[in-house]
Amino acid sequence: MVKTELTEKSPLRSLEKAVQGGLGKGNIAVIASKEGVGKTACLVHIATDKLMRNKHVIHVSYANRVDHIVNWYEDIFTEISKKRNLENAMSVHDDIIQNRVIMNFNQKSISVDQVIASIKAMMDNGQLGTDAVIIDGFDFTIGSAEDIKKFKAFAVESDIELWFSDSYPEGADYLDDRGIPVNLIKDLDDLSVVLTLRAEQGLMVLKLVKDHKALVSEDLHLKLDPKTLLIAEA
Amino acid sequence: MSVDITKMRNIGISAHIDSGKTTLTERILFYCQKIHAIHEVRGKDGVGATMDSMELEKERGITIASAATNVTWKEHAINIIDTPGHVDFTIEVERALRVLDGAVLVLCSVGGVQSQSITVDRQLKRYGVPRIAFVNKSDRTGANPYKVCDQLREKLDLNSVMMQVPIGLEEKLEGVIDLIRMKAIYFDGNDGEQIRIEEIPAELQAEADERREMMLDTVSMFSEEIMELMMEEQEIPEDLLHETVRKAVISLELVPVYLGSAYKNKGVQEMMDAVLRYLPAPPDVENKALDLDNNEEEVVLPSDETKPPVALAFKLEDGQYGQLTYIRVYQGIIKKGAELINVRNGRKFKVGRLVRMHSNNMEDITEAPAGDIVALFGIDCASGDTFCDSNLNLSMTSMFVPNAVISLSIKPVDKSASDKMAKALNRFTKEDPTFRTHVDPESNETIISGMGELHLEVYIERMKREYKAEVETGAPQVAYREAISASADFNYTHKKQTGGSGQYGRVAGSMEPLPLDDEKGYEFVNMIKGGAIPTEYIPSCDKGFQTGMEKGSLIGAPVVGVKMTINDGQFHAVDSSDQAFQTAALGAFREAYKKANPCILEPIMKVTVEGPTEFQGNIFGTLNQRRGMIIASNEEGNYCSVEAEVPLSEMFGYSTVLRSSTQGKAEFTMEFAKYGKVPSSVTEELIKKYEEERKAQQK
Ligand SMILES: Nc1nc2c(ncn2[C@@H]2O[C@H](COP(=O)(O)OP(=O)(O)O)[C@@H](O)[C@H]2O)c(=O)[nH]1
Ligand SMILES: [Mg+2]
Repeated sequence: MVKTELTEKSPLRSLEKAVQGGLGKGNIAVIASKEGVGKTACLVHIATDKLMRNKHVIHVSYANRVDHIVNWYEDIFTEISKKRNLENAMSVHDDIIQNRVIMNFNQKSISVDQVIASIKAMMDNGQLGTDAVIIDGFDFTIGSAEDIKKFKAFAVESDIELWFSDSYPEGADYLDDRGIPVNLIKDLDDLSVVLTLRAEQGLMVLKLVKDHKALVSEDLHLKLDPKTLLIAEA
Repeated sequence: MSVDITKMRNIGISAHIDSGKTTLTERILFYCQKIHAIHEVRGKDGVGATMDSMELEKERGITIASAATNVTWKEHAINIIDTPGHVDFTIEVERALRVLDGAVLVLCSVGGVQSQSITVDRQLKRYGVPRIAFVNKSDRTGANPYKVCDQLREKLDLNSVMMQVPIGLEEKLEGVIDLIRMKAIYFDGNDGEQIRIEEIPAELQAEADERREMMLDTVSMFSEEIMELMMEEQEIPEDLLHETVRKAVISLELVPVYLGSAYKNKGVQEMMDAVLRYLPAPPDVENKALDLDNNEEEVVLPSDETKPPVALAFKLEDGQYGQLTYIRVYQGIIKKGAELINVRNGRKFKVGRLVRMHSNNMEDITEAPAGDIVALFGIDCASGDTFCDSNLNLSMTSMFVPNAVISLSIKPVDKSASDKMAKALNRFTKEDPTFRTHVDPESNETIISGMGELHLEVYIERMKREYKAEVETGAPQVAYREAISASADFNYTHKKQTGGSGQYGRVAGSMEPLPLDDEKGYEFVNMIKGGAIPTEYIPSCDKGFQTGMEKGSLIGAPVVGVKMTINDGQFHAVDSSDQAFQTAALGAFREAYKKANPCILEPIMKVTVEGPTEFQGNIFGTLNQRRGMIIASNEEGNYCSVEAEVPLSEMFGYSTVLRSSTQGKAEFTMEFAKYGKVPSSVTEELIKKYEEERKAQQK
């Protein structure tokens, strides 16, 4: 299979369909779940899918070693290319990683202003033409509604998609009665897409809880393959 | 005399240029009564400081050598290892950091934490070296040791704590108050050699009480006993404090700060007491070797004297009496007359003279136990070699030596320079396995090659200073390679049958690319059946192909990653010969090469730039402009470190650009990462340049 064909067949296309054609630039999406369920894998899969479509991605993380993040990308790429028999996998890989930058902040307490300033500096001087920024490990219990508004303004101003993860401790009851992750209630106006990830009969199921304007409660026909951690058709 | 290893310290003194490292070292040697007059650095008497053995160092004010000097202080043996402070001498820096167990970080009381303090501290952190700090030049106008202590916290993230309070500052500096003993200490006599202990002056009592409180708060974090005593407002025994500080220093959790003025002879002895009290003895530190019989797996070396010996040669020096090899013993005992093996080449040798180097003389000894640093005479070896008992196959350093990525032609100006140059090159290649030299068969020029521009520059300077070898240098050349990206068939006939003895040979087969990371780089496969080419001429084909590998047709660079298969051919009973088949194979190689999508490969460096966050946009920009691929940036506090892969050819002059775009506040290191394909626009340029040069040569 060649690269374009591979991305056309990606299960992420059905995710896009479900959310009316995708997240869209200027918007924020959040994937919420308990710890260790596979949010990072989801985000890396989404990022890799963008890279394969020749888009530029900045991956932001907090207190994760850079080599660990690189390993995530390597693993996910290997899985995708193996599964779909990607032609020229090596050279596709070498091409696409040119469009990925990892930014790591070694400190939870670093201010949102500082984070945005750093990402902007990267977009202006390091990685021109960034399409999406992945922010893994941001703490929504510390981040105020004000902070999220800053991220929203940044997404609009810079014309990029922003993808976040939102994490909860093992055993916590983290959804309110509408099924909204509790940390995100205060920010709902600024979030365009909210997804949750939960375990069901040994499968990790993706559920859509906010779809642009509307609150919904729709199980997507998507799951996380427990072996490869790739998003797959259920 | 046997050595009590717990009474030994192997230390380095690390500092930003001009903080007074040389002056301080000189004072230490003096107080240890090993030298009898203090020579000022660059002083009037023209003698110069004892540790500055290298001319180049004096001129540049940087330290490149790493000689070790043994002194005795209060019944303890201290080996002072001169640590290079410059970022670019990675091999030298690593070796020096390898052999020391603790360090004194010297800071200027006015300048505080400066760019090189940051670099050396990072290196010390990387190697897990426990340290104490000495705020020197407290006699200078604007001196502020407290501020420097705070900077250690803020800029270097060290848990620093003042152990002293200055008595007077700037030109009024008289002495220090020791916050553990709560006494005033003065340094009398011509050279501050007489120590006088007094009560704390009344006007400083309040400040001393306050600072002691701060010191106890910090230290008590490491001892519940102290914490309880403090709560009960009881006396805290000095021994308990010392013991607690020592543990915290060795576990890298605390950096006690001392102050003084090396130049005015104040505070040096107190700092040395702290070296004995708080820095580790060799058995307190865990060392590791690589097991060469087990895939370079790490093994811990207990500094146990009963085990078979292991030692690292970390420095070579040409002395009056021949080659001196500095070693650190890591396990067992090295004895005079014992037989050891050099792990790198498997050669056995006998330990001849074994000496301990003092600053002005050497002492013959009969044995050196694990932990000790001594020197051997007349051993033919390279620096970085490991010496072991002949039953062991352990190495203290990785055996992997990367390929050179840059080269330079050098030409001696006359005959005498030529001899000296040869001598220097011989020495340097022994010291540093990444520094290489060869003679180019075409131009007959001597080419030196190594791991970076500065790497070569330093050796050229050393050649001039130490060996008085005047040489002219060519422009630095990036070590390009050529490779193919597709397979291609060949069928080539070499025929010359007019007059005299003829030549005839035909070879056919295919050329295929090998993966770039394949170590072999070249493979030859013979698939000839039925004697289309007689067996005796098969090696001729191999040889002809290898000649083709030497020089690619794009820019004349060596070709890598090619598999040649022959499956058919033809010979002539009279006219075929070894030479004829070699020529045919070379022709076949060139024919196939053209069709196999040849490309140029260039060395790609892994570049790490570090600097204040306020300049990160500029840092990103300078990398981006150099065809750099930014891989990651790490932000910590207001400091960021950016990792990128950049072609070496784009890195010339980078330090100047980086300096000017960050007000000199950022610095970078680079090391070879891999070979990568040159983009097509650059390829065209390189080919054009190569063709022009060839034309110019033919004229
Ligand atoms: N005022 C003052 N000057 C000092 C002190 N220590 C060293 N110096 C001077 O600072 C300069 C650099 O000292 P040096 O020992 O060569 O520093 P290095 O580059 O760290 O080895 C020399 O001129 C010294 O005389 C000190 O404690 N006080
Ligand atoms: Mg010096």
